[in-house]
Amino acid sequence: MGVLVKKVELSWLDRTYVWPVMKGMGITFQHFLKQLFTPTAKRFTIQYPDMKKEMPSGYRGLHELKRFEDGAIKCVACFMCQEACPARCISIEAEEFSDLNITQGFEEKRPAKFSIDMLRCIYCGMCEEACPKDAIWLRKDYEVAAYDRLSMQFGKWDLMNTYTEADGKESISQDPTPSVPRRTIAL
Amino acid sequence: MDKLASLLHTTPAIAWMVAKLVIVFGGVFSLAALWTWVERRGSAMIQDRIGPNRAALFGKIKIIGLAQPLADGIKFFFKEDLVPHDANKALFWLAPFLALVPALMGFAVIPFGRSFMSGGQEYHMALLDPGNGMGLLYPLAIGGMAVYGVLVAAWSSNNKWSILGGMRASAAMVSYEIGMSLAVVTIFMTAGGYDPSEVINAQGHLPWAWNVVRQPLGFIVFFTCMFAETNRLPFDFAEGESEIVAGFNTEYGSMKFSLLALAEYCHLMTASALMATLYFGGWQVPFVQNPAVMLSVLSFLVKMLFFAWVFVWIRWTLPRFRYDQLMHLGWKVMLPLSMANLVFHAWRMSQGH
Ligand code: SF4
Ligand code: SF4
Repeated sequence: MGVLVKKVELSWLDRTYVWPVMKGMGITFQHFLKQLFTPTAKRFTIQYPDMKKEMPSGYRGLHELKRFEDGAIKCVACFMCQEACPARCISIEAEEFSDLNITQGFEEKRPAKFSIDMLRCIYCGMCEEACPKDAIWLRKDYEVAAYDRLSMQFGKWDLMNTYTEADGKESISQDPTPSVPRRTIAL
Repeated sequence: MDKLASLLHTTPAIAWMVAKLVIVFGGVFSLAALWTWVERRGSAMIQDRIGPNRAALFGKIKIIGLAQPLADGIKFFFKEDLVPHDANKALFWLAPFLALVPALMGFAVIPFGRSFMSGGQEYHMALLDPGNGMGLLYPLAIGGMAVYGVLVAAWSSNNKWSILGGMRASAAMVSYEIGMSLAVVTIFMTAGGYDPSEVINAQGHLPWAWNVVRQPLGFIVFFTCMFAETNRLPFDFAEGESEIVAGFNTEYGSMKFSLLALAEYCHLMTASALMATLYFGGWQVPFVQNPAVMLSVLSFLVKMLFFAWVFVWIRWTLPRFRYDQLMHLGWKVMLPLSMANLVFHAWRMSQGH
């Protein structure tokens, strides 16, 4: 297939080459001035450690294990996320716990250990999709780095506290005893 | 000056010479280093980027990144100094100096301020006093030597890409030198002499009597040729990442590379100074008959730095030329133009203007 080349008829002024050069210099100088007088915060470049990019909604960053208001973990250790994870980086150990006042003898389930190997995680968000309890979220923190491999193994308490600072919540390291029933169980 | 000289047990002339040497070479050298930063920041701004702004003194004092040349220098000093196995070692070592020295030397003859009298002696603001018999022929001759720096660097590193770059650059330099010289000859002709002080005095203090107004064509030719002379974009044929790896300095690293880079910027400074002297009245201050010495130095500095900035500005505005386009422009456009300029002014002089 032939390519159509558009012939541009240059005017006399353009063919001197001096005038177009000056026009070009005008354009570059405009950019120069514009950039010079733009405050740093408004420039296109984000000066990373000092400024951070606001990630779009839907961004899949570091995980958080959600909790109820009283601090109890929402996860019921159903292993759906572990099954769904294509990188096989979630490992859960379930435990039963009971609070006879509330559950009337029924035992509930929660993870005793919940760990994600962040070195293997591909941030695909499958775990979030799979979770029936909406207990695991991938949020906007992208600064997941550490000096050694061991600190990239996030445990249950690490995962529950990943966004405490950003949300202004307390960080917790212990399952609270539930004081109110989380749902009424019809017998 | 007298007191200082007697303190140091020398004559005022010698003390002044030493002071001038330090000021001129130190000044040009540090300006050149500074200009690497200006170039990077300027290009960044032109392209809506930010550029190097993080280098800080002692990790704290960040003056818009002005410490960057310093940081670069330190980095270059501590880099491994490699010489390719089959390189011509002696020439490989010599080349950066061959590039740097002519670039700096060209400045020696350019007056950067008005001469003044003190204690019955006249002090000149140029390394070589006026009336030395070389005048502005000297920077032209020295400028012609600059090609050796590039060519020797290219040839001694024994690398095909380097030699290609070096040959292209030297061909460009040599062919543009003719157009440039003819443009300068026109100035010598109208000024009636080739001493820089004569050229400057002939231009006077009125901006419309400066050579840029009287010989705009000559200015354009000279200006264009200066780009080819200093090997800068749009005529930077010594280098070319896309076609010949890096060009004449492919094999260079550490301080030798930095010297080559500095040589380019020193050359740029000298070229800007030449342009200011030849076409913009040198140290003349517009509309001031006999400016104070400091004012004249300032005026010269402003003009020189403006042209140095124009070099940067053009570099980030224009695309590069192709080699044949360059030769076409040099031989078929610049040379006839400067000849026409010469003939025109010769005719005007013959008419008694
Ligand atoms: S984001 Fe993907 S890879 Fe990472 S833990 Fe969840 S399912 Fe696994
Ligand atoms: S899918 Fe949700 S509820 Fe089930 S184990 Fe994973 S995080 Fe817990």
